[in-house]
Amino acid sequence: MNSYDPTLKSSAPPAPDPNDALYEKSRKIYPRQVHGLFATARVTAATVLLGIFYLLPWVQWDGRQAVLFDLPARKFHLFGLTLWPQDFLYLTFLLMLAAYALFFFTALAGRLWCGYACPQTVWTESFLWIERKIEGTRQQQMKLDQAPMSLRKFRLKATKHAIWIAFSLFTGFMFVSYFTPARELAVGLAGFALGPWETFWLFFYGFATYGNAGFMREQVCKYMCPYARFQSAMFDKDTLVISYDAKRGDPRGSRRANVDPKLQGLGDCVNCTMCVQVCPTGIDIRDGLQYDCIGCAACIDVCDDVMDKMNYPRGLIRYTTQHELDGGKTHVLRPRIVIYGVILVALCALFAWRLSQRVAVGLDVLHDRNQLYREAAGKIENVYLLKVINKDDATHRYTLSVEGIDGLAPAEPGLVIEAASGAVVSVPIALRAAESALPSSSTPVHFSITAEDDPALTVSTEAKFLGPAK
Amino acid sequence: MPLWDKTGWIPVPQRVAAVLWITFLMAGVATGAFFSAIDPQELKYCVSFPEVSRLGAYTIGFLLFWLLSASSALIAVFFVYPAPPAAPPTGLPEQPAETP
Repeated sequence: MNSYDPTLKSSAPPAPDPNDALYEKSRKIYPRQVHGLFATARVTAATVLLGIFYLLPWVQWDGRQAVLFDLPARKFHLFGLTLWPQDFLYLTFLLMLAAYALFFFTALAGRLWCGYACPQTVWTESFLWIERKIEGTRQQQMKLDQAPMSLRKFRLKATKHAIWIAFSLFTGFMFVSYFTPARELAVGLAGFALGPWETFWLFFYGFATYGNAGFMREQVCKYMCPYARFQSAMFDKDTLVISYDAKRGDPRGSRRANVDPKLQGLGDCVNCTMCVQVCPTGIDIRDGLQYDCIGCAACIDVCDDVMDKMNYPRGLIRYTTQHELDGGKTHVLRPRIVIYGVILVALCALFAWRLSQRVAVGLDVLHDRNQLYREAAGKIENVYLLKVINKDDATHRYTLSVEGIDGLAPAEPGLVIEAASGAVVSVPIALRAAESALPSSSTPVHFSITAEDDPALTVSTEAKFLGPAK
Repeated sequence: MPLWDKTGWIPVPQRVAAVLWITFLMAGVATGAFFSAIDPQELKYCVSFPEVSRLGAYTIGFLLFWLLSASSALIAVFFVYPAPPAAPPTGLPEQPAETP
């Protein structure tokens, strides 16, 4: 009865079947705490990532915040680099880079992102840690939740939520710090003088953190994350996945100690269900590869512990590949990996090259639309509109030079264009050339502008110089 | 309203996420693209806005994009469900039982 039955009368839906997983109200999952190699890796990754998130806004660079997406001033600061709305291209580039890096690592090693780096995982881990500090172990938490309300239960729950909310609001504050300087924000907060929009986003992000890391948890991965749904498209039989070795483990069952399990007709799995108890998404890895598995490797750690206690070799649950489980060999270098890798390297190189070639000044030249050309002082005159964009952090004065036709010159020489940081300055300009010097009725001419104080700040562009038909 | 219906076709969190979360992401993309091309400070020369800071304009723009895309997702989710079948007529006189 998992599918919708159109013969049902819409007015009287049947009572939900309690055994149907789809009807079941999502049960709270109490992941058991786990220690081991991958748990350490996960905690380290979470600490480093949260450290970066919470500390970066306090880092200064050239007298301003090092990383600041200054939306009110419409510019993005990334250490020494300042990006303007005109540099939107770089942002799209970054997004493409991120997407291909995700494809590459997914094809290579499965859901590394989900298990170790995703903000949902990282904040859920932090919230679980807080929960464990206050309510105790898995068993204690389950017992507490089943117990009727008491003073002790109320106290523990209230403490937990108070700490969660404080942590969430701090997270919201740090999030807003990427858009409004952290120091300004801290001063505003201390004086209860935050702007209304900053306040709105602080609470919005804080609420999202509280809800997603405190309550939604694995449901975010199951129902909200598009990546969880399409990552299987990047998997093949050589992708590193976390898997239970059924050949070795089955048949499962408890056994008498110090007797060879094979004599008892059993595999290596003692059916202790530890792998299920530690799973943050509440699945049984022994059922096979499932999209609910976020690849956190908690089951590997806990199963290795059990194997150690039983004196069996480790790795009943391990990072492996489908080929290896089928008794074959894993091919790391395969077309999928090579193609993703080449695209990724090419994009990185292109991005670095574009960035190194980036000049902090832009020039657009628009030919006057009303009049193609006119005769003035015995010469042919064309009028253009120059648009100069200063993408540097300082004000600059630019000089113009034009070439492409013998004797081509501005009607009024000595033009200097001054543009403040971030400003777009429009300057009309008339160019003149002798009719005899024009090779055709439409001749390409080059405009270039150069900052007076910095010859490296130079940019050029092409436009047409129009004249009478030849 | 299918979004809240109890047929159990798709779990409720998944239905809510399909409407609110995906459109949240899209509203973010739309806001980024729109406001990198258009400065809200220039918009006020075209439309008579009450005085709003740039951050406020971005926020309002984002919420409007979200509202727009979420409404369309809500209607999409609504129409994904099959139309309810006809309910058999009620209140008819009882048919006499067939005699063998």
